[in-house]
Amino acid sequence: MADVFNWQLGRDMQYPYQAERPARQIAWIFDTNKCIACQTCTVACKSTWTSGTGQEYMLWNNVETKPFGFFPTGWDVELLNLLGPAKWEGGVSTGNTVFESAPAGERVNGWLPTSEHWAHPNIGEDEPSGPVERGTYIDKLPHDTWFSYLARICNHCTYPACLAACPRQAIYKRPEDGIVLVDQERCRGYQECVAACPYKKVMFNNESRVSEKCIACFPKIEQGIQPQCVTSCIGRIRIASFISAPETVNPQSPIDFLVKVRKVALPLYPQAGTEPNVYYIPPMHAPREYLRQMFGPNVDEAVETYQQIAADDELLGLMMLFGSTERIMHSFAVKDGIATGYDEDGTELVSVPLREPTFIREYFDEVHNTYRQNIT
Amino acid sequence: MVHNTLPGIEAIFVNEWWWTASCEYADIVFGVDSWGERKNLDATGSCTNSFLHMAPRSPLNRIYDTRGDAEVMAGISAKLGELTGDPRFVDFWKFVHEGRDEVYLQRVFTASGATRGYDVLALEERAQQGIPALMNFRTYPRHGGWEQRQENKPWYNRSGRLEFYRDEPEFLEYGENLPVYREPVDSTFYEPNVIHGKPHPLIVPRGPAEYGLALDDLSTETRQVRNVVKAWADLKGTTHPLTAADDRFRFMFMTPKYRHGAHSTPVDLDWMSMLFGPFGDAYRHDKRSPWVGEAYLEMHPDDGKSLGISDGDYVWFDADPADRPYRGWKEGDEDYEVSRGMARARFQNAMQPGVIRMYYNMYVATRGSVRGAKERADGLAKTPETGYQAMFRHGSHQSGVRAWLRPTLLTDTVVRKPFFGQELGVGFESDVHCANGAPKESFIKMEKAEDGAPEGGLWKPARNGVRAGYESDLMKQYLSGGFYQA
Repeated sequence: MADVFNWQLGRDMQYPYQAERPARQIAWIFDTNKCIACQTCTVACKSTWTSGTGQEYMLWNNVETKPFGFFPTGWDVELLNLLGPAKWEGGVSTGNTVFESAPAGERVNGWLPTSEHWAHPNIGEDEPSGPVERGTYIDKLPHDTWFSYLARICNHCTYPACLAACPRQAIYKRPEDGIVLVDQERCRGYQECVAACPYKKVMFNNESRVSEKCIACFPKIEQGIQPQCVTSCIGRIRIASFISAPETVNPQSPIDFLVKVRKVALPLYPQAGTEPNVYYIPPMHAPREYLRQMFGPNVDEAVETYQQIAADDELLGLMMLFGSTERIMHSFAVKDGIATGYDEDGTELVSVPLREPTFIREYFDEVHNTYRQNIT
Repeated sequence: MVHNTLPGIEAIFVNEWWWTASCEYADIVFGVDSWGERKNLDATGSCTNSFLHMAPRSPLNRIYDTRGDAEVMAGISAKLGELTGDPRFVDFWKFVHEGRDEVYLQRVFTASGATRGYDVLALEERAQQGIPALMNFRTYPRHGGWEQRQENKPWYNRSGRLEFYRDEPEFLEYGENLPVYREPVDSTFYEPNVIHGKPHPLIVPRGPAEYGLALDDLSTETRQVRNVVKAWADLKGTTHPLTAADDRFRFMFMTPKYRHGAHSTPVDLDWMSMLFGPFGDAYRHDKRSPWVGEAYLEMHPDDGKSLGISDGDYVWFDADPADRPYRGWKEGDEDYEVSRGMARARFQNAMQPGVIRMYYNMYVATRGSVRGAKERADGLAKTPETGYQAMFRHGSHQSGVRAWLRPTLLTDTVVRKPFFGQELGVGFESDVHCANGAPKESFIKMEKAEDGAPEGGLWKPARNGVRAGYESDLMKQYLSGGFYQA
């Protein structure tokens, strides 16, 4: 076992392998406040990668309604039950990770879902946290009765539990971009990875008899294009780019800006200890107790900063760039009411206005000899 | 419709690109191109969207021997031309016979204010490169009524002003010359279709007696034309005629469009079915399920419990027996088994007590699908001969709801804008002033049919304590954020 530094925990932790951060680490931001759970991302991913035999149940990307939605059923209830309450003291997680709480003889504290756990992928959709009392009136945040949407993919963790658990080292993390993959030739289908992943994003293929998972659309990444789930999102809630090493802050990087500068985007169940690389802007309207359980102690600060967005042109501009280009933005800038995203070499990829412009046409267009109407 | 209307129709022809319930009951089905296979140029837009969506001709090969929808029409028309000897049957479809959709589409674009000046072939080429086009309305974004508000241009009615009083004879007759509130025609706990209000000198409708109807005739069809005014103080003591006859009738039944599809977007793919609510299951662990997803009735948990129904159970639902599931039904009829409504119960705290919601627009049960569920080894509700796949074991949303005729939509005197163009007209106009089948609403009773689990008892997620109302202690701790200590 090695000691590795997990910046989300604020401390060193135990991991079966030495730390070896990739040259750059792919990362995502999901803004839960804009997600409508349309499942376009889910179907985009599935129609690209998991339409084959043995993959029928798989959703490498899924969207679940919280709190009664899960895929697989009860995955995070089970995770929290295994770990016990998250303990944070002064920004440091003092509870045990899935590695540190592994039972004797195991590398990871996990559980293996049954076939029935994978059924009902959209259970709990649009179901509120509890009964709605007669006379309930919602006039403040957070809401007393609430639900919210949580879109999930593999987190391409810095310290993957799946990689740690595999007895054959059939899972690896690419040194060039940190994408985590299952070697389909080397895997023998033991499903240690399936049991180990805290997020249950490695899935066993009933036909091929080996396991598979979200591949971060690596053929697209290699061409500088964002993954399917990102480009297909009609709500423009997602962005994929690269996050700097923990000791570095690059304010022009979209991910660094949101995670390290504005600190509005937080990791999912960081207490598990895998240092996941999908960061969420938390839902403004969900109760803080539930959100801290899910995203850690920095929830309140994140929500407050996000709520100031109308007065924060740089934050607003970056959020407007989400979903504006297929290509990976390596840097961005906001100036004079325009937000611009740039390629790796500084080439401009796209420009968007911070506020939608309006246009009023002439009532009679002399060039085209026609009247312009809004009621047609 | 299947039992009472179709028998009166001589023949049904359907254009479809996958096998729907319409195909199950059709005499002839024409296989037509799906969107990805279309060889004809087309465009679409929507009433609030500022964009014009060009649909370029697809370079993909057709998967089967299909034709475009317009080609089917043109082909049938040509045959009628042969039979009648009238050349117009061919001439009117010249653009299809010559494969030149752009001629027709260009005429439409040139005649339309928001697209005049566009060249459709140039738009198609730009669309193929992913370059969008705008509808050229007066403003961008489009604000309906902008000119009326900002420039005092007239509204599209008789006076040109916003009108809150109607003096057309029909509106006076029906008691809707002022904005009034009417109880629904079916889905109400009280006397249906009553106009709320204390006596008012301006609201003097023709009542039932003047139509030769008895005042206590609250029967299904009559309800649509009763113009009875009652103050709430009097109305609140009344009861729906169904409840008076059988007090199990006490649930309003709504069938809105599914939140993952629009009314004309297929939502009935296996993946959409799997994601459709809580009961989707790629491997159908419960072999009673009609498919990998199925219909469900959303209800407040208290409503279910009051009937001995649990989350996940199969439930029968019945509406007014006078005409649903069809006129003339009898227990024991083969068609009754096909048409009586059955769906899963889904406990949903977002529903208010007394209101049941069931999303519609999914494959209904047919004679074939019900037979398939019995004959097939896998138990799928799938017609053996056609492969038609139902999402109901029995019935459909139409086992419950029906359309209602509203006299105020059927007048000959309302001044209104036409569907196309700017010249005002009067009376009937499709999609503007006419009968329509929405909203559908009805009043139902429910009874438990089967346990949620195939082996008996609660369906598994409820048993495992992750469903609202069935929460385990673990789940309660999770819900309250109890796995966190600062």
